[in-house]
Amino acid sequence: MKMEEKFEPKIVAFLCKWCSSAGSDLAGVSRLKYPPNVVPITVMCSGSVSPNYIFSAFKKGADGVLVSGCHPGDCHYMKGNYYARRRITLVKELLDFIGIEPQRFHMSWVSAAEGAKFTEIISDFVKELEPLGPQNKLRSNL
Amino acid sequence: MVTLEELKDNCRQILKEGKVKYIIGYKRKNGQYMTVPAFLDRIEEVDHLVWDPSCIYNLVRYLRDEKMRKEKEKEPDTRPVGVIVKGCDSRAVNILIQENYITRDDVYIIGVSCEKSGIVDEKKLTKKFAGKDIRKLDFAGNGKIQVTCGTKNSVVPAEEILADRCIECTIPTPIVFDVLFGEKTDREVPDPFKTIKELESFDTTRKWEFWKEEMDKCIRCYACRSVCPMCYCDECVADSISLAVKPDTTAEEKAHKIRWVEKSPVISENFNYHLIRAMHLAGRCVDCGECDRVCPVDIPLRYLNRKMEKESLDHFGYTAGMEPEKPTLVSCFREDDPEEFIL
Repeated sequence: MKMEEKFEPKIVAFLCKWCSSAGSDLAGVSRLKYPPNVVPITVMCSGSVSPNYIFSAFKKGADGVLVSGCHPGDCHYMKGNYYARRRITLVKELLDFIGIEPQRFHMSWVSAAEGAKFTEIISDFVKELEPLGPQNKLRSNL
Repeated sequence: MVTLEELKDNCRQILKEGKVKYIIGYKRKNGQYMTVPAFLDRIEEVDHLVWDPSCIYNLVRYLRDEKMRKEKEKEPDTRPVGVIVKGCDSRAVNILIQENYITRDDVYIIGVSCEKSGIVDEKKLTKKFAGKDIRKLDFAGNGKIQVTCGTKNSVVPAEEILADRCIECTIPTPIVFDVLFGEKTDREVPDPFKTIKELESFDTTRKWEFWKEEMDKCIRCYACRSVCPMCYCDECVADSISLAVKPDTTAEEKAHKIRWVEKSPVISENFNYHLIRAMHLAGRCVDCGECDRVCPVDIPLRYLNRKMEKESLDHFGYTAGMEPEKPTLVSCFREDDPEEFIL
């Protein structure tokens, strides 16, 4: 008997080096459990996440993309996350406008102390993506 | 109303005084009613100058060519270039100044107000006057346009033949100018973002179906990029031509030259290109509608840029090209920018 394969969404997470990446690390060292569906990519600052990264992630087959940075006011570079917030607002609206499910793209603030919040965000994200199925809209069809 | 004679007189005057190197304006296409851009550097040529509802082009684009030319010359003529701008075009000049691409002294701005009317959409015009010999278009004042067919004049309400962007335009008067012709007018538009709101009201599947069909058509001719006054980068992120790999290209160089967009005109790459373009024009697009007009396969590219315009106004209260001394949309922030969507 063939087992029905369960859809496992793939999430690409751009985590800033100083807060969110440290937060995900904390989740690891505290032995908190969260779904293994996430591919973390450490960037220097959420403000350095170009929209190209996000579109590229979707093109290369990500089912969901997460951009995560320090809480407002806590940015290591003083104001990088404020710039990110503006830019990501526009990206989110644009993706929604062309018909990409809004659940596929999220932004979050995760500090270095919020390991628990990080696990929660990832588990919720996976739960949201499961009913949507694979993302084939922007996936490269070359 | 803009009086063409006054406009011509002013152009003759500044050319005579040597205030400007040349003037970029509009002239009639050989015996047709539509116009083409004209570069006037002699006083006699000013006679050909035209200002009517067929002046569809955004002449600000040519300031880029002028800048590139100037950079190559050993002893460049530093006099400004005269350019005839409509309301939307003047905001494009403002953005170039805001981004330090040109300085205010590089350009002598001759503003013309569209007042209650605007620029025609050639498709709508030829549809309305199908089979008729259109000779000339004129502003008739009070939101009307006079169309001369053969020897017969007919006056039609502007909305019937105006370009979509002109119907939605709220800033018909140039913001920045050295000399202005026509009146400063406000335009009451009940809902400037009506089409965008309609598209937004679709559900996800329908939105996707709509855009997928449009993007499938794209042949990647890059006409939208070539015509855009805002696309002035020396090396476009979408171009892999300049990223040619030669035998002596090092691994490091390759790593630094990522191919964000492949050249093949397939849906995913077309989407990528147009999404990147929309992002790069966010807070910069002045809705001059040129990309829309030149698209050989009629993709409504304006909608993407218009959507970004709507969001920058809704979320950040920012309209492109209004205040050149302030920072651009994405190079500044407010601490209380909306963040309801952030987890």
